Amino acid sequence: MKISLNWLNDYIDLKDISVEEIVDKLTYAGLEVEEVFDQAKQFEKIVVGFVKEAKKHPNADKLSVCTVSDGTQDYNVVCGAPNVATGQKVAFAKVGAVIPNGGMKLEKAKIRGEVSFGMICSERELGISDNHEGIIVLNPGLKEGTPISDALEMNDVILEVAITPNRADALSHIGVARDLSALFDRDIKFPKVEFNESKKKSEELAAVEIIDAINCPRYVGKVVSNVEIKESPDWLKKRLKSIGLRPINNVVDVTNFVLYEVGQPLHAFDLDNLNGKKIVVRQAGSDKKFTTLDSKERELDQKDLMICDGAKPVAVAGVMGGENSEVTSSTKNILIESAFFNPSSIRKTAKHLGLSTDASYRFERGTDPGITKWAARRASQLIQETAGGEIALGEIDAYPNPIDKKKASLRFSRINKILGYDISAKEVKRILIRLGFEIMTDDKQKTIQEKLLPRFDIGYKGKDFIDVVIPSSRHDIEREIDLIEEVARVYGYNKIPEINKMGVTLEQKVDHSAFDGNVRDLLNSLGFYEIITNSFLSESIAEKFGKPINVLNPQSSELSHLRPSLLPGMLTTISNNLKVNEHDLKLFEIGKVFEKITEKNISSFNDFRESERLLVCLTGNDLRTDWFAQDRAFDAYDLKGLAESVLNKLICNSTLNVSYPTTDDSHLEMVFNLSIGNQILGFGGKVKKEACMLFDVDQEVFVFEADLATLKQIAIPERTFHELLKYPKVYRDFAFVLDVPIDSLSIIEVIKSVSSNLLHNIKLFDIFQSESLGKGKKSLAFQLEYYHENRTLTEEEVDKEFRNAIKAVEQKFNGKLRGS
Amino acid sequence: MLKKIGETRKSFDEDLSKANDLASLEELRIKYLGRKGLVSQLFDSLQDVPKEEKRNVGQVLNELKLHTQSKFDELKNKFDKEKVSSESYIDLTLPGRKREVGSKHILIQTLDEIKEIFKGWGFSVYEGPELESDYYNFGALNFPADHPARDMQDTFFVSEDFLLRTHTSPVQIRLMEQKKPPIRALMPGKVFRNEAISAKSYCLFHQVEGLVVDTDITFAELKGTLVAFVKQFYGKDVPYRFRASFFPFTEPSAEMDVWWQPKGKEGRWLEILGCGMVDPNVLTNVGIDPEKYVGYAFGMGIERTAMRKYGIDDIRILFDNDKRFLTQF
Repeated sequence: MKISLNWLNDYIDLKDISVEEIVDKLTYAGLEVEEVFDQAKQFEKIVVGFVKEAKKHPNADKLSVCTVSDGTQDYNVVCGAPNVATGQKVAFAKVGAVIPNGGMKLEKAKIRGEVSFGMICSERELGISDNHEGIIVLNPGLKEGTPISDALEMNDVILEVAITPNRADALSHIGVARDLSALFDRDIKFPKVEFNESKKKSEELAAVEIIDAINCPRYVGKVVSNVEIKESPDWLKKRLKSIGLRPINNVVDVTNFVLYEVGQPLHAFDLDNLNGKKIVVRQAGSDKKFTTLDSKERELDQKDLMICDGAKPVAVAGVMGGENSEVTSSTKNILIESAFFNPSSIRKTAKHLGLSTDASYRFERGTDPGITKWAARRASQLIQETAGGEIALGEIDAYPNPIDKKKASLRFSRINKILGYDISAKEVKRILIRLGFEIMTDDKQKTIQEKLLPRFDIGYKGKDFIDVVIPSSRHDIEREIDLIEEVARVYGYNKIPEINKMGVTLEQKVDHSAFDGNVRDLLNSLGFYEIITNSFLSESIAEKFGKPINVLNPQSSELSHLRPSLLPGMLTTISNNLKVNEHDLKLFEIGKVFEKITEKNISSFNDFRESERLLVCLTGNDLRTDWFAQDRAFDAYDLKGLAESVLNKLICNSTLNVSYPTTDDSHLEMVFNLSIGNQILGFGGKVKKEACMLFDVDQEVFVFEADLATLKQIAIPERTFHELLKYPKVYRDFAFVLDVPIDSLSIIEVIKSVSSNLLHNIKLFDIFQSESLGKGKKSLAFQLEYYHENRTLTEEEVDKEFRNAIKAVEQKFNGKLRGS
Repeated sequence: MLKKIGETRKSFDEDLSKANDLASLEELRIKYLGRKGLVSQLFDSLQDVPKEEKRNVGQVLNELKLHTQSKFDELKNKFDKEKVSSESYIDLTLPGRKREVGSKHILIQTLDEIKEIFKGWGFSVYEGPELESDYYNFGALNFPADHPARDMQDTFFVSEDFLLRTHTSPVQIRLMEQKKPPIRALMPGKVFRNEAISAKSYCLFHQVEGLVVDTDITFAELKGTLVAFVKQFYGKDVPYRFRASFFPFTEPSAEMDVWWQPKGKEGRWLEILGCGMVDPNVLTNVGIDPEKYVGYAFGMGIERTAMRKYGIDDIRILFDNDKRFLTQF
């Protein structure tokens, strides 16, 4: 919200305080000043100049050569304006000034042989109007050398203040002045509202009926008759323009002015367009459509609160008026609406209409029900001042259930308990009273208010608490802690000390993220980079990778569904990297995936599954041609070995089983599972071409995926030491010629089945395929490792084992032992 | 005979000076020192020498033998050494066989750094779900229904009551439902905001939340802790300030700024975290007596922290996972 410092000074005198200090104090107190716009800054080096002499340029008919004084020095200035003349006071831009319109920086110039030290400006050049017929001729009473910003009264400073949603009370100049009053300990000056009223009562000219008193607790109406709708006076236009509002006409401008003065949104109806000269506040009900004053037809919800006349809706309450009752140039009689609406009702309406206005913004945050009457009277006063007319006597004040002001207690000891610092009782009371709170005296009937300020240190001797009455503008305050916050923020957070030691409880500490950290470290050491991809996917992609959950209000259709798998993100990453010629990638991601497990809407945590997964990926080449190496692309064995190494490390070398599922995986081929017992820990394979092509990835991609929660459970934190072997290992090698389709695992299993527990390891160390072995034949060479933990093996027992193994392979697979 | 010996010695010296490799040296050996070489032949003809000269001639011949043998050995030795060193020569200027060492994502590295600091101060680390209920994300955290406070965090909904968490604060609630005070916890994680993707904002980011609840916790401790953190993380002389702010789940609430001075640009205050004393309503919602226990909480965004630290000015590059980016950290 924009706040004009000149305007602010109408309510609190801050003229002796620097802008920087005001900005700092407001910011520290929670009214963050995001930007400061100093009007005068654009007029730097532009001052009131006195034209001592203007004579014709010797070499140009349309130019003049002037002698201009800034009060201390005379300057030679060439001017092209027809109206420049000796004796004028003008806007003189000196060398170094930047012309506001266009941003040209003035330098010493030679114009047709005459040197010019600056420029005499037009209104357009100063950026204050489009007038460029001639230079501005200023009031002759101005002193030369006066900054032009002061001469033109363009010396306002505008603050862009970010108001948090709890501080509806600060959404106006008086609201901000309230905080400043506490921050600088200065009085606040409310404008005097005085005017003559006619004999006719407002009630005789109009009527108000509230049907929905829950959503409209208070509705004040005041009538002003025989107004003349016209342009607003300069002072009013200037105020509105300074905060970026466009002046419309005097009546509308007054309602806007009061809104930004005190925070009460007002609406002016053309009374003659109100059927029955009557206002009825009710829900839309069967009214389905309504045209707002921006000429748009709006679809209504039956619960929308509407302002109606005797026959039809005339405004969407608290949001926007209707076209059918707006003030026009021919309006004569007006009804000013100053109401208090239920914030949540206005919010719902504004939300479903997709319409946020200055009014709805304030109503949905909570306006001050106590200010409605004052605001209506203030508007009447200003309308009379700017549009003439007669103000009807009194107000129509429909207020069926007056709202009591809230009260709260504040214990001084509690301030210390929360803040860790004492603030004196006197300071506490000063702050609260300045903010508009009333402090109840022992005599419960009386309260100390701002008027009695000098006395705020009386009365409470020996008492360790105060009871306060909360201003009706402060919807955010109802409890002791709210009062402590008020005191703390005005007192200044920076005055609260910083302790330099803390008491740590001695108890078992946990780190839920430690396991993920181990996995990351492990993969890093194997050369993998971690990636983080978007959790959102398009519907078409997401549905191919699981049962995704859709977002009701997505950012775009490309990001409408939650990822059911990490694979699309990985493939997207590969695709992006291929585009920049990064082909060789070892990547992993750890992240949550989401799957819907119901057909219905999600209404409980049982309706979906959120799991944390690990996806490891290899693509491209392991080695590129180098002085020591040939190109070698990653293959399924790289992936399998890697997955086994990682899992082995994580599960502390427990025995890992590899199995090869026969069921078809939708996105992977060459699939293998790694498990302990029956528990599958993860699976890997090559991404099918169709899946790769969805992402324009045209190289082989190998991935391994695991569920981190499962891994975490299996990963045994307790490790036990295995005694180191004290006796020698015995190795025996053999190679068999076999049919090509016989896989290595079945041979290993057969060898195991005929061996005793002396056999500890079987290593396949060579594979060889050649015509010389015979058609469709291959050679597999194995090394068998034997040992006993408690003794040295004899040659005989190893030979016996070995012969059994040979015999089994020969019989079972029709293998031919090589070299025999 | 003596003349012949002298000539042989002379021709040997000449041949020796011409021998420039092991092969020519071998030829020389065969010519002079071989079994039928010139030196042997001279010894053979010693028997024809008259007896009285034999002693003298024999001595000269022996000298020749010693001379040729030692000269030969000397040169052979030299050539052998040269041969060995040329065969085992290593050009250390060749590039080594490099191995890629991976790295954690820069956001995780930043998060780890923050975690390390707080773990040193006795904080435990907890995590929670990303797809949350309205209750945990808003209701239990004292966000009234239909209140503009909810607009502070543009929310992605998946149903009326379920949404993608907009902050890590729901983990506070989950933790306090499980564990009673004293609590000293750090809660990192991914959060989601319905904001258009641009250089400055992304639809998701990472946050780390802190929560401390005990009988004697104060705003002064909150300040002290965060100041210590900022000094450790940003440097001990970094200017900082606390401003009053608003979060439904803390009261009093504050935001902390640090002074940021990018190279060659104008310095400015930069908001780094939100914090405050846990609102009594939040404690009541999880069954902790707010009269007895006081708590503080804070939350900070990791992306902005990392971007500032590493001079990154477009948030999207963090999620592009371009290898040329990944390998830099």
